[in-house]
Amino acid sequence: MSTSFGRGRFAGRSHLGDALSALLDGELSPGQQETARAHLVGCQECTDELSAVGQARSWLRGLPQVDPPFGFYERILLDRPVVAAPLGVRPGLRRRAGIAALAAAAAAVTVLGVGSPAAQPVNPSMPQLVEAHATSASVGADLLSKLAPAGVPVSFSR
Amino acid sequence: MSGSGIPTWEDVARDHGRFLYTVAYRLTGNSDDAQDLVQEVLLKVRKGLETYQPGSLEGWLSRITTNTFLDETRRRRRRPVDRLPADPDRVLPAGPAADVALGAEALPDDVQQALGRLPEEYRVAVVLCDVVGLSYQEIGDSLDVPVGTVRSRIHRGRALLRKVLA
Repeated sequence: MSTSFGRGRFAGRSHLGDALSALLDGELSPGQQETARAHLVGCQECTDELSAVGQARSWLRGLPQVDPPFGFYERILLDRPVVAAPLGVRPGLRRRAGIAALAAAAAAVTVLGVGSPAAQPVNPSMPQLVEAHATSASVGADLLSKLAPAGVPVSFSR
Repeated sequence: MSGSGIPTWEDVARDHGRFLYTVAYRLTGNSDDAQDLVQEVLLKVRKGLETYQPGSLEGWLSRITTNTFLDETRRRRRRPVDRLPADPDRVLPAGPAADVALGAEALPDDVQQALGRLPEEYRVAVVLCDVVGLSYQEIGDSLDVPVGTVRSRIHRGRALLRKVLA
């Protein structure tokens, strides 16, 4: 316990330095704790440093857990790449991909003036809707992620 | 758990998914990189690339996650496109003497941002200590560095973080 963060030795007297964090973390032996406490009584510099690192420690320990984006692990467990391959080429996802891509495709087609494809009556199940939502959510993720708090499922691909 | 007692990646995702994602998010500071990191960790678990040591599963996951993160950081640093300099004195201007505003609040987003400005070695140490809750010895074992180094990195990390947020 001879080093001191950023200041080194001062007037021939060594400061507690990283022993201050060790003190807060219960990582000093009883004897070392005693020595450290005795030093703190007479040293304003170490007392200030103790408050500073103690505050940082509290902030870090007060950080909340973060939820992964909705459906993140489910997609991994189903062995679907989260960094999306083109939907149409993934086996088993063709029908879903068709539904998910319908709106975008229709918009593009309309712009090109080719006309809409014949509409198929669809009755998507809940998982299909979720998939469609997840797919569409990756569009414009940059904008969304600026607006949404951490952990909100706005981005599913890079 | 599988019959051998080695956790499968399904176990990990189901029972420790939130924990794993939290560690990854605190290290990387954004959702995209956190997702990539978690996927890499799960891939390692799935392929059996990391030896499981019976004990704290979360400690084991933390070790894989931080080392994967550090490997990636070093890989990126070798590229010409560069990141923050690792020397704290170049990252941060010297702060005024610690006339600390005691009891001041800090928003999680601000703390996260400050965490992202720490050199990676310090960031990893404080995340393992203050987010995961490992002992200095456990952190030293995870990172393969002496306990004295752990202690120094944690202390410097906290002091820097406090400066950034002061």
